[in-house]
Amino acid sequence: MRLWQLALRNLRREWHLPELRTLGASLVLAVTALGVVATLSTRIEHGVLASAAELIGGDVGVASPQNLPAEFTEQATTHGLSASRSAGFPSVAFAHGQSQLLDVLAADSAYPLRGTLELLDAQGHSRIGHAPPPGQVYLDHRALVALNLKVGQPLQLGGRPLTIAAELVREPDGGELFALAPRALMSLTDAEQAGLLGVGSRARHRLLLAGEPAGVRGWRTWAQGAKLPQGAELITPEQTQERMRAAFDRAGAFLRLTALLSALLSGVAIALAARRYARRKTQEVALLRALGTSRRRVLGLLAGTLAALALPAAALGTVLALALAQAAWVLASSLFAGVPTELPLAPAFAAAAMGLAVLAGFALPPLAMLAEVPPVAVFRASLARRVRRFDLLYLLPALVAVLLIWSQSGSARMAVMLAACLTLVAAAAATLSALLLWLARRVAPGAHPALRLGLAALARRRGMSLVQATALSLGLVALLLLAVVAPALLEGWRRELPADTPNWFALNLQTDQRADFEQALARLGAGKLNMLPLAVGKLAAINGTPVDQLHLQDQRAQETADRQLRLSWADALPESNQIVAGRWPGEHPAQAEASIDTSWRDLFHLKLGDTLRFEVGEGTLDAKVTSIRRVDWSSFRVNFFLLVDPAHASELPHTWLTSFYLPRGHAEQLAQLSRDYPNLSLIDVDALLDRVREIVDRIGNAVRWVLGFSLLAGALVLAAALAASAQERRHEAALLRTLGARRGQLAAAAACEFALLGLVAGLTAAVGAAGTGIWLGRAVFRIEGFVPPLWPLVLAAGGAALAVMLLGLAGTRRIVRTPPMRLLREG
Amino acid sequence: MSGSSPDSDGTQHEDALLDVRDVSKSVSGPEGRLDILSGVSLQVRAGESFAIVGASGSGKTTLLGLLAGLDTPSGGSVRLGGHALESLDEEARADLRRRLVGFVFQSFHLLPALTAEENVMLPLELEGSNDARTRARAALASVGLGARQRHYPAQLSGGEQQRVAIARAFVHGPRLLFADEPTGNLDQRTGHHVSDLLFALNRDHHTTLVLVTHDSRLAERCHRRVELQEGRLLASVA
Repeated sequence: MRLWQLALRNLRREWHLPELRTLGASLVLAVTALGVVATLSTRIEHGVLASAAELIGGDVGVASPQNLPAEFTEQATTHGLSASRSAGFPSVAFAHGQSQLLDVLAADSAYPLRGTLELLDAQGHSRIGHAPPPGQVYLDHRALVALNLKVGQPLQLGGRPLTIAAELVREPDGGELFALAPRALMSLTDAEQAGLLGVGSRARHRLLLAGEPAGVRGWRTWAQGAKLPQGAELITPEQTQERMRAAFDRAGAFLRLTALLSALLSGVAIALAARRYARRKTQEVALLRALGTSRRRVLGLLAGTLAALALPAAALGTVLALALAQAAWVLASSLFAGVPTELPLAPAFAAAAMGLAVLAGFALPPLAMLAEVPPVAVFRASLARRVRRFDLLYLLPALVAVLLIWSQSGSARMAVMLAACLTLVAAAAATLSALLLWLARRVAPGAHPALRLGLAALARRRGMSLVQATALSLGLVALLLLAVVAPALLEGWRRELPADTPNWFALNLQTDQRADFEQALARLGAGKLNMLPLAVGKLAAINGTPVDQLHLQDQRAQETADRQLRLSWADALPESNQIVAGRWPGEHPAQAEASIDTSWRDLFHLKLGDTLRFEVGEGTLDAKVTSIRRVDWSSFRVNFFLLVDPAHASELPHTWLTSFYLPRGHAEQLAQLSRDYPNLSLIDVDALLDRVREIVDRIGNAVRWVLGFSLLAGALVLAAALAASAQERRHEAALLRTLGARRGQLAAAAACEFALLGLVAGLTAAVGAAGTGIWLGRAVFRIEGFVPPLWPLVLAAGGAALAVMLLGLAGTRRIVRTPPMRLLREG
Repeated sequence: MSGSSPDSDGTQHEDALLDVRDVSKSVSGPEGRLDILSGVSLQVRAGESFAIVGASGSGKTTLLGLLAGLDTPSGGSVRLGGHALESLDEEARADLRRRLVGFVFQSFHLLPALTAEENVMLPLELEGSNDARTRARAALASVGLGARQRHYPAQLSGGEQQRVAIARAFVHGPRLLFADEPTGNLDQRTGHHVSDLLFALNRDHHTTLVLVTHDSRLAERCHRRVELQEGRLLASVA
């Protein structure tokens, strides 16, 4: 008979074995959990990304200094996408003899394709609309105040008389922080007819597209292969503002972490079930070997049986994952209302592959050892000795775990750290359990009979108790991380943008205006005032080689080198900056010293000791790189890629950049301030802040959804692991009943045993989750001073101990009722 | 207390430790009701050794289960140490077993995760005994396994395992010891050793011994023996 036929027959015969069922169920559960989380995560990531589309007003687009060739629009039509053309440029508006430079966007009537354009009419009624028809214009509040105008009044823009049809409240503007002037939105037709977009204009043209994800992907693929006009670039949701991207990256890390922990939980259950299966099969394998079956065939048969079990289980898990993810999406879709996403299939299949890898990694070591059972073990089980050369196989689950962590965390560093954290927790749990078991032996003689039996049971099953406590600890760490630490991290993240986050920036303040301006702001009641010097220059040379001779391969590096750059200086390391290499510049260094952001290090392949030459105004500055910083760009503080030591930099020609918080409703006073300091550019980032807060909230809600699934999966896997171990107790219960043990005695002993087990696991898990949480908060999510909530952790750990006890009792309830006669019937 | 009338085993005992009257046991199977035992009456006095013999399927194990209170009869009564087992619930029967009864099984039924010593400690721990370990060691020494107390069942031979099981059966000083084919899994010589041990302990501790066997030579060593055939007692031999 062929091996696969034998394997199928074997599986059919053994399907009643609880271990095989646990193995199958664990795999279904693992694939389902991984699949649901991965599918939902991917979809939410798509959703989050798609909602970033709201920021740019379309799913994808292209920006160019010239009008774009028609083929870009034609291709969009081919891919079934709708298109909107617009152009942005500065222009001066005139009204009542006053003039004001405006940042104008001229757009066709389809604008915006994504996101909302919020308007306020003359009566103060809010409405959602599109770009205005010819002859009309929308102005934002600052523009209205600066020109002393109201909705319904006329103005001149680009030499054309236009009527202000509404106040512009919110637009999908891409969150441009340095939008210098007040905003106006006009019709593209008007702009074209006024000649504002002709040759020599400073307009930046945009073509925005939106439609089904497949069409968007198709167009992007085409556009990436097409030759873009000079100076043109693709606009994609991923390229939105740096701080937005940081938010998305964090969300992704969060979601992947939840999936990872679920997968590891399943691995624990699979390992427990496989171990028991191998133990049960020892005698049978010895018999097969005694009857002349080769070791290879035994191994083949075992692997075949496992495969016959695993493949349908993985398929079932995949189907369940897709169905549940779809159901969850339908229920949670209000989070991403109007954002079209399709059910991604790849993550569920990847989850099935990962589930199979987990099964192989965690189940193979005990089964491989089974093939080494000598035929002589048929006479006595003790002859089935451990085979030392297979000890290395026990590294396999660790390897699979590390690979899983790596694949989910996306970085080797995080993988190593997370693996180290989990190993530490496992080691701590094992040590603590061993200590408790040692204590149990000491305390047992004088304890209450139930406690004594429970302690004795724990102490006797020493090996199993250690494995169980460690597995439970790891499981609980995962659950606590998901249930307590993750929401706290989210909350911490949300709190990073407190209500009084600076919402205004003022550019171009001169040194002699500083004192007066500060006083003026103080009179307005502004808070969180921060003032930084700002010099504008250009990177001239790196290590003595002029930039134009560097032949930079990286497009971004070339663009950065070509651009004007802003540099600043400060006595101390600014908040939300962290030195990752070198040291902060000394007070009076002999040579000028520079501190660069990590992205500059990567962009120009810089290292400590390199020299940079900057041209600032008429002069130059040669500075040695003495430190590299990691900057939290999502902090909404004023941050710079380049900081120079104050001793050398303060002589550079510079202005001041100010950030401050001013509650809403001060438009009149700000307009006055604008008039008092005509050289000053005031920038409102309230709208941007609102968007970031909204995105954080959305992600928070989405993570809670995924969290629910992970918790459920974790609890189920934990129950499965407990059930697998509870099976061993059936025979023991029957024997103890025969010897006269009362049900209550057995139940009390089991309660004590599981409560102790839960307590050890809970305690270790609480400490482990707190430690891992602190590391995650600081190193991965970069939340300054993050401390997980300790009391909820302790309470959750206590609750977990109770849950373990109840689950254990539920698992042993039937066993306690095992009729003692069964033992006599067994012989 | 009843028991003055003659029983099917032909004896009459006022001081019976085990008093069985007209016991029957039937189960319902796929082909209707199946009578496993019917009209069984017997009495066993304190301190005597009593064998139940019979072919496979004659109902020996079922009868042993009823005598030890592991199961309840469909009809009739079983009195163990003066307690009518059929009137007790499973918890009360468990109490009685713990106080009065020890067991030796054909396949030993030692817990594989426990050492010899820990297996012997079990009945003492169920009682809440404070010197379980000391007594377990003494019991192991008395069956000649003083040097094997730290061994696990898998590390012991069949005869040694059965001796551990005997130590476990005697360690808490039961009044009645039930042995179900105690030598069934052992070779002749080892079986002989084990039965010697059983009878020696029966004698030294004045424990009543009820054993179920199809080994006639083992049965012959008992004070009395009865034979079961198709669920009925055939004869009693003193």
